[in-house]
Amino acid sequence: MLEEALEHLVKGIVDNPDDVTVDLVTGRRGKTLEVRVHPDDLGKVIGRSGRTAKALRQVMTGVGGRGLRVDVVDTDGR
Amino acid sequence: MSAPQLNQSDTAVTAEATSDDVLVPSGTDTEPALPDADAVSDDAVVEPVEVVSDTDDDEDDDEEADDLLVQEGDVAGDYLERLLDILDVDGDIDLDVEGDRASVAVVGGGLSTLIGPDGATLEALQELTRLAVAQSTGTRSRLMLDIGGYRAKRRADLTALGAEAARRVAESRQPERLTAMNPFERKVVHDVIAGAAGVRSESEGEEPNRRVVVLPDA
Repeated sequence: MLEEALEHLVKGIVDNPDDVTVDLVTGRRGKTLEVRVHPDDLGKVIGRSGRTAKALRQVMTGVGGRGLRVDVVDTDGR
Repeated sequence: MSAPQLNQSDTAVTAEATSDDVLVPSGTDTEPALPDADAVSDDAVVEPVEVVSDTDDDEDDDEEADDLLVQEGDVAGDYLERLLDILDVDGDIDLDVEGDRASVAVVGGGLSTLIGPDGATLEALQELTRLAVAQSTGTRSRLMLDIGGYRAKRRADLTALGAEAARRVAESRQPERLTAMNPFERKVVHDVIAGAAGVRSESEGEEPNRRVVVLPDA
């Protein structure tokens, strides 16, 4: 549910929605939603001064709890 | 989801939505350097987008503008409705056009997780919804989002607070500094002060500690 929610939120704000994937991974520090987007869309997901990424985090922690992390994974280097 | 409902006939809602939410009367309002310091501002849209050139006459422009606002509401409604579906949250979407903005309200009970502490999640969702609308229409959006009546309630509280401060300052002739507020909240208070006799208002300080100061007229 959390992955799907975040995937939906991100798909709506990028140029390449088909390239959006979200994985929920569990690590030592708790649960993290890893977001991957088309390299051209990185700027859109992060936003000026990171405000879009922060908005995504705010919504997801509001829904999934404070321990939930959201990471935008930079896939540009592949 | 069910059919759209009539919006609440809150007069304060209409009054606020007809004007810009971040302009303040003082000339000292500069672009905040802090990230996301200005959650309600029109600067929320990250990507520059092209504005359709207005080659038609004014009447056509007005119609086009209204059509665009309706389209904004539709996109925003779809975006939020799908989110509610995924989260399995019950809520209805009310769409409206108020003044020169699209107005979108999610109504229902059990929406507190989407409002968040001091409306933080609501502000974040508004920002994302504006981005989704801009992505779809190619035009910056200034739509206002409310969830569970949070803004309407906050607006009513701030209107009362502003009116009381105006009355006190008009009588005492002493300036009064109000608590720190976000841009949306300051806008509500500035509007109230602007309509009150014998007082004026300014904003001072930096986000997130920016606040309204109520001053007696010279």
